[in-house]
Amino acid sequence: MKVSISKFLLQTILLSGLFISCNNSGEDEIVIGTSLLSMQNEFVVSVSDEMEKKAKESGVRLIMVDAERSALKQVEQIESFIAQGVDAIILNPCEYEASSPAVKKALAAQIPIINVNSETSEKPTAFIGSDDVESGRIAMRYIAEKTGGKGKVIMIHGYMGQAAQIQRAEGAKEILGSTPGLELIAEQSGQWDRAKSMSLMENWIQSYGSQISAVFAQNDEMAMGAMKALTEAGLKDKVIVVGIDAIPDALQAVKKGTLDATVFQNAREQGGQAVATALSIIQGKPYEEKVMIPFELVTAGNVENYLK
Amino acid sequence: MKITAIKTERYGIFIAFIVICIVLAIASPKFLTLPNIRIILTQVSINALLAFGVTFVIITGGIDLSLGSVLAVAGVIAALFASPDAYPVIVPIFMGLAAGAACGLFNGVIITKSKVPPFIVTLGTMTIARGIALIISKGRPVSNLSDSFNFIGGGQLAGIPFPIIILVIAFVICSLILNKTVWGRYMYAIGGNELAAKASGINVDKIKMLVYVLSGILTATGGILLTSRITTGQPNSGLGFELDAIAAAIIGGTSTAGGKGTMTGTLLGALIIGVISNGLDLLNVSSYYQQLAMGVIIIAAVVLDSNNNKK
Amino acid sequence: MHSTQQILQVKNLSKSFGENKVLDNISFQLRQGEVHALMGENGAGKSTFMNILAGLLQPDEGSIELNGKRLDAFNPIAHQKAGIAMIHQEIMMIPELTVGQNIFLGREKEISGSFLINDKKLHRKVNEILKDTGLSLDASARMKDLSLAEMQMVEIAKAISYDARVIIMDEPTSAISDREVEKLFTLIGKLKKKGVGLIYISHKMDEIFRVADTITVLRDGRHIGTEAANHLDHEMLVTRMVGRKIETLYPESSAKTGHVLMTVRDLSLDDKFNHIEFDLHQGEVLGMAGLMGAGRTEIALALYGMQPASSGTIAVNGQIVRLNNVQQAIQAGIGYVSEDRKNVGLITSLTIQQNMSLSSLSSFATKGWLMEEEEVNAIEQKSTELQLKSSGIKQVVGTLSGGNQQKVVLGKVLMANPQIIILDEPTRGVDIGAKSEIYKLIRQLTALGKGVLLISSELPEILGLSDRIMVISEGRQTALLSRQEASQELIMKYAAPGLAPPVKINTSKH
Repeated sequence: MKVSISKFLLQTILLSGLFISCNNSGEDEIVIGTSLLSMQNEFVVSVSDEMEKKAKESGVRLIMVDAERSALKQVEQIESFIAQGVDAIILNPCEYEASSPAVKKALAAQIPIINVNSETSEKPTAFIGSDDVESGRIAMRYIAEKTGGKGKVIMIHGYMGQAAQIQRAEGAKEILGSTPGLELIAEQSGQWDRAKSMSLMENWIQSYGSQISAVFAQNDEMAMGAMKALTEAGLKDKVIVVGIDAIPDALQAVKKGTLDATVFQNAREQGGQAVATALSIIQGKPYEEKVMIPFELVTAGNVENYLK
Repeated sequence: MKITAIKTERYGIFIAFIVICIVLAIASPKFLTLPNIRIILTQVSINALLAFGVTFVIITGGIDLSLGSVLAVAGVIAALFASPDAYPVIVPIFMGLAAGAACGLFNGVIITKSKVPPFIVTLGTMTIARGIALIISKGRPVSNLSDSFNFIGGGQLAGIPFPIIILVIAFVICSLILNKTVWGRYMYAIGGNELAAKASGINVDKIKMLVYVLSGILTATGGILLTSRITTGQPNSGLGFELDAIAAAIIGGTSTAGGKGTMTGTLLGALIIGVISNGLDLLNVSSYYQQLAMGVIIIAAVVLDSNNNKK
Repeated sequence: MHSTQQILQVKNLSKSFGENKVLDNISFQLRQGEVHALMGENGAGKSTFMNILAGLLQPDEGSIELNGKRLDAFNPIAHQKAGIAMIHQEIMMIPELTVGQNIFLGREKEISGSFLINDKKLHRKVNEILKDTGLSLDASARMKDLSLAEMQMVEIAKAISYDARVIIMDEPTSAISDREVEKLFTLIGKLKKKGVGLIYISHKMDEIFRVADTITVLRDGRHIGTEAANHLDHEMLVTRMVGRKIETLYPESSAKTGHVLMTVRDLSLDDKFNHIEFDLHQGEVLGMAGLMGAGRTEIALALYGMQPASSGTIAVNGQIVRLNNVQQAIQAGIGYVSEDRKNVGLITSLTIQQNMSLSSLSSFATKGWLMEEEEVNAIEQKSTELQLKSSGIKQVVGTLSGGNQQKVVLGKVLMANPQIIILDEPTRGVDIGAKSEIYKLIRQLTALGKGVLLISSELPEILGLSDRIMVISEGRQTALLSRQEASQELIMKYAAPGLAPPVKINTSKH
């Protein structure tokens, strides 16, 4: 008696399992896998939010995973997507070199892979992003303009070796190079962190004090930290502080006048375009291999447009 | 002869500290200025608070790896209650400290009731607390805090930055607990020989829970301090803070075997770390070389101290 | 026998620690096949002398010659190679390794011939050694699974495996049973025939007179005298050691036994002990005799709340008490001096002050705040009462002699004001001077109306101090003797295994 009941249960379970999985792998549903640099990063979260929204609108199933800043983890995640047989992969790379194997593997498996926001050395099927080099240029140009082309500048870098850091530094140094009156007196990595940059700035103030004309921080978190230190030292009025990203905090600060400028990176556009491009590729429609979404300088003058 | 021998034994770390300060003062003229000293003490305050807490724990023979995450979750919770005109400032402070105490209690209960070593339990809490911080903040920093809250990290009282005042008060209270109360004595006993302590009639479980709760509260204080200093509650703050805190305690003479350690030593340990960080920044040394230098100096300080103790 | 060669010659040995002169111009000779006992109170310099012989310490002056060759390099390995082996009082074994691995620790090459390890060969060889020496142990057993007694036997086997010419034995019988003591003495006989010279240190005078050929007495770092053992007796020896006459070792009891302090009925714990039943009166010393491993310590731990019994009742002053943890036992007025003072009785890394007040600390505190002055006064008073010899209450307990360490433990227990005091092997590893002080203390306690439960494996001690003697054998109570009827033979008879029905694990829990 007992044996046949458990056999019956087992069969029922197996059949339902089969039924459910059959339902899920509906041939008509498009599945896109996406691996994100870090869900603890506000910017990335904005990108992914928009991706989710766009995917829902288009009836696409989006599998989202967090690489937690580990390139190794990211490669494993892409391998998993390939094994699952997704229709396309959207990759928000951790690192330029170390995340490249992910792109290679996807291409080898003939699954379209779209990079969003950061580049890899291995070229993907399509790239949606903003030219970080340009963002560095925009920020430094603003500083050059506001200081009349003369003064001592400090640059706070992000994590050394990350694509964003390399490119933003490149753009900034380009402008510095072509503006002989601007001198770069100090640079260090603030590791994209507000508190770390605040400490760095406090210590620099001890060294250079009133000599500092401007501070360029490669992202808003670090700019906010530097700004706080300068405010506490009573030096804020004399120093121009510029960041990049246009996170809500920074926008508020620009409005208040405590942050001089930031550079808006259109996270939403990047996310939305990534999904749109992926769909076009999957559906065999024409698509653009490189979609560059322009950076926008945000100052007190136009900050209202960005506050939503 | 005897007197100097005893002095170097107990004050080895103090001497190391003085030597480092002298070297840095010579290397950078800005080092020994009053504003810089204030900066150092302010920057040291957070790590010192965490270090005081973990000193209690290590003296009893335990360890707490969850410090960084507890700091983050306490900071975020405090920030959530600190919007302007929402609650009087005592509320976010209380909520933050309560969060820290709860994490500490969690650690203490699991460690005392199960046989799982503190290393593993607090490693688990480290992940759980971080997850909670991310969940309740939805992964985004919690900004726009009231002025009275931001005063904690950014304000001054009689020209002294408030964090320094909190540091001094915490130091005094922790020293008193360790040196002048029964509980402090019991902590040393448990760390020295837990079985003998139990055989002497000490409620070992109760004291163990106490030290983890103390660690949680002190860490939460650090979290509130950090949050009010940068005026945002950040769910990913405090990463790796436990290592600096434990390093400070160990440099200060707290033995990982248990039964040994002082608050003064820990404070010196935190100061050494802070002074090195500040000094190397003043000398514009890249943060990578700084890490190398920090490691070398920490090892040197500990070796010096352990050599003195061997005699 | 007179013309046997001298293997060890020590001349004019001196050693100081700082200003403390621990050894003063010591001379010592050891012949082949001789058992030479070294006696003296704690602090007399025996440990220092031995440690120098073993190469662990360097002397300030003097020389040591082994078989005519002078020993110059003072490190343990050189001395081992020269042929001196030492059996330590403290077990220095690695719990997770096997008996064989411990014995050949550091010398694995001798067995395997290369840097690779050959455990099979090692265990075989060690089993041979063990059989040779008459020890019934398995070389592949893990150290941590052995009893304290067995571990000590392994220490002995290890020293023998070095093929040493001189073997120093430091309290070799402190933790082993009588049966094993016999084995040891047989072994010593064999070694003597082989021409090995033995230096034997023990506080147990009976043993010394049984096994030693010569006895050297040290006092306060000085050589008092060296004589053939058959020229001395107990009294003479004690007088030389202490420098004064000790009249009676066991003081007369002046206490009158009063009402019942503690009633124990039907106390059982699994296979450790069963149906233990006794009354302890005011002013009484109730001895608990038995062989090692009979379960006496387990009974004590149950009465002290450290390892509660699974069934039975305990009543103090007529009221039934629950003793599920140590705090409850202390509150019920029960104190316990452990047989293992280094691991259970004391926190060796802390000071006298920190140790002594540990069980009574809350009585010196208001709402947690310590009144250090009161605490220090109480501790110093107790130290003086116990005649504790130290350099002050801030001295670290680990640096005290065995006797003084025991006084710290006693002080701690007494400061909690117990009515019932359980003493578990209170004079183990304690020199004769401190021993007599402890016996006097026991009498003082009973005179104050306290009840003392005395666990001891030294039959003279138990017979000399107890008003009544309970005998425990294999976890069961086999006899309850009065002082008059008790004798060594009678106790041994009731302590022997196989006498009582085997202990059953109590399946009915109430």
